[in-house]
Amino acid sequence: MRGGSPVMRHAFSPETLHPDLWRGHQFGRHAEHGLPSGFAALDAQLPGGGWPRRSLTELLLPHPGIGEIRFLSHCLRATQRSGRPVMLFDPPAALSGWALAQLGLEVEQLLIVVTRAGPAQIEEMRVAARETDETRTRARLWALEQALKSGHVGAVLAWLPPRLRTECLRRLQLAAHAHDGVAFVLREMAAAQHPSAAPLRLALRPGGADVLALRVLKRRGPPLEASLQLALPPVLCRSARQRVHAGAAQMPMLHAATFVNLA
Amino acid sequence: MLWIALHLPLLSLESFAATYCGAADAVPMALLDAQHIAHANPVAQALGVKPGLKRATALALAPHLVLGQADPQRDAQALAAVAHIALAFTPSVSLQPAQEHAAAPQTVLLDVQRSLRYFGGLDALVARLHEALAGLGHRIHCVHAPTAMGAALLARLHQQLRCPDLAALHAALDAAPVWLLGPGREHWEALQGMGLRTLADLRRLPRAGIARRFGEALLSELDRARGDQPDPREVIVLPDRFESRAELFARADTTEQVLQGATVLLARLVAWLAAQHAQVRRFTLAMQHEARRHSDTATPTSLNIALAEPSRDPAHLLVLLRERLARLPLSAPTFELHLCADEIVHRAPPNSELFPTPGSEAEGLTRLIERLQARLGNEQVQRLVLVHDHRPERGSPAQAVHADTALSVKLGQRLGHKGLASRSSPHIAPRPVWLLPEPEPLPERQSRPWFEGRALQLLSGPERIEAGWWDAGLAERDYFIAQALDGALLWIYRTRLPLSAGAQGWFLQGRFA
Repeated sequence: MRGGSPVMRHAFSPETLHPDLWRGHQFGRHAEHGLPSGFAALDAQLPGGGWPRRSLTELLLPHPGIGEIRFLSHCLRATQRSGRPVMLFDPPAALSGWALAQLGLEVEQLLIVVTRAGPAQIEEMRVAARETDETRTRARLWALEQALKSGHVGAVLAWLPPRLRTECLRRLQLAAHAHDGVAFVLREMAAAQHPSAAPLRLALRPGGADVLALRVLKRRGPPLEASLQLALPPVLCRSARQRVHAGAAQMPMLHAATFVNLA
Repeated sequence: MLWIALHLPLLSLESFAATYCGAADAVPMALLDAQHIAHANPVAQALGVKPGLKRATALALAPHLVLGQADPQRDAQALAAVAHIALAFTPSVSLQPAQEHAAAPQTVLLDVQRSLRYFGGLDALVARLHEALAGLGHRIHCVHAPTAMGAALLARLHQQLRCPDLAALHAALDAAPVWLLGPGREHWEALQGMGLRTLADLRRLPRAGIARRFGEALLSELDRARGDQPDPREVIVLPDRFESRAELFARADTTEQVLQGATVLLARLVAWLAAQHAQVRRFTLAMQHEARRHSDTATPTSLNIALAEPSRDPAHLLVLLRERLARLPLSAPTFELHLCADEIVHRAPPNSELFPTPGSEAEGLTRLIERLQARLGNEQVQRLVLVHDHRPERGSPAQAVHADTALSVKLGQRLGHKGLASRSSPHIAPRPVWLLPEPEPLPERQSRPWFEGRALQLLSGPERIEAGWWDAGLAERDYFIAQALDGALLWIYRTRLPLSAGAQGWFLQGRFA
């Protein structure tokens, strides 16, 4: 050891070695910028400043119809404006084209892939084709994988069953690497307990009329404890919303049975 | 003049084993022709089975020998595929007749002198030719020479040889054995007895003597090979319709086995299309089943595949065939496949581009839709159509997508046509995205609708919709927006007049998403 002034050591930060390395308190860096979600508060909390491209984003909902399409409408509009198709896989109910047109989407350009039979045809098809739920889920996953791998689709929205094998989601995540756009997988809240290969997981809940409460379950970055309240594109007019706030205290509640949702 | 000869020494065995599932090189195989072995593959020859042996002798030498019948028709079809691939390189392609009378030709001759410039030189042309032929899986001897006959003869002998000019050709021919010439084979014993082994020996003898002893045919063949006599060839003509059969090696029970045979047929179809720069739009695969009972008539199962975008990409056609076959139930095992092209289109293939452009994206999307429809069914890939009907459940029916219209709609969008929604922009109240297929009745207590054990608070409304007096779906409803317990917004309605037929009371029609 030489005497005299100590040797100056430059602090070595390993995260500068490679873009895929990041520290626990930082956001993971992505090669591409994310697609803006339309909500500044959410963009600030997402790594990449928006919805990640080339990977799956999992959204967990208690039931369909809490404002998820309004929530996603901003990035779907942006995808359609750039001329790329949007595909929906097995929406849980029938879609109203006029409602989608009101949200600003081009209805004629949406492609819907259905593997679930309509209620009137279920028995006949089951008997004729000897199909089971298992076969239909496999067909849905195959179709989703084909759409992701083709690389020609702009945005993908898929409704998947709550119970899925982990390798199915991992396979979809790998297929999503070829897909230059957003890929949303919407499942029921019961799937929150099972691990998933999607790098971004959000739990959505209605937070009031035209308000969505969002919790980030998993992301490439520090965990976020607080839930965000996002104002959705409104359905109710202003007077109706005032009535909601005013009437919140006076709603009659029936206490015959209380069900606690443990999910 | 520059001729390329492509000789297929194992053509009969390869066409026989084309639909064999597994490694055909590891199994001893031989072909019979009237109880005598006609061809044997290298594994069988290693065991001692040679052409000319009797069937019983061969089986005694190699008990696991797989025997088949020699079929010149089958060989001719396999060679036709090679000839069609060669047609993409030059219009003058001809077949060299076989030396035995009943056998099928095994050599394809191409005159490539006039195509050299287009393909950028002989090496580039030969490389592309080999690449195109690699898909067929045949063993090929490729020889170049200035004369057709010379190339054909030398191809039997050498696997790879180049004779850039006549001098090299003469040198190669001089070193070749006498049995290479057709007539030389018949007189082989006599020639051997005279000590004539190679063609050089033959040339040194006086011509009149050879003609008298062995016939003019021997001399004329030698002259044509050396270029001393003209040798006009008849070019082959491409058939107008494509129809090809393949008999499967084993009875096919599963999709994979049928696809193995179908791959061979698709390769021939693609070769035929490439020769005329066309693409296929519709083709039919017919599968012959074996009759289980005597009373069963042999009605083949037909699978008709129509493509939205004409294509000649064998991988894409195979994917479509696989998905459709997977859904088709077969009544009995298949033993023969028959492929015919119903509709073809003469068009230049699309340019492949480095970066995705709108044109290539649209084509890729069409192929994706075709694949999805092939597996799931035509009705399962849908698009919403906006209809001006006030009844919400009929406002946007879903229709099956036609893959070729997907392209045209996109193009229309690009030209700036506004969609139906933005053009009309009706002043309608907010609509929910999710509509229940059947409106769910809600119980009513204290003159309020109840949902999930709670009276619903009506937040907005009423919006009156009355429509459908002209058909059976009369709707007279007052719509309200209500809030459920967890804060989600619901769209409910109340049927208006008690005089209207149907159920009364409150119904849940949709949810705002």
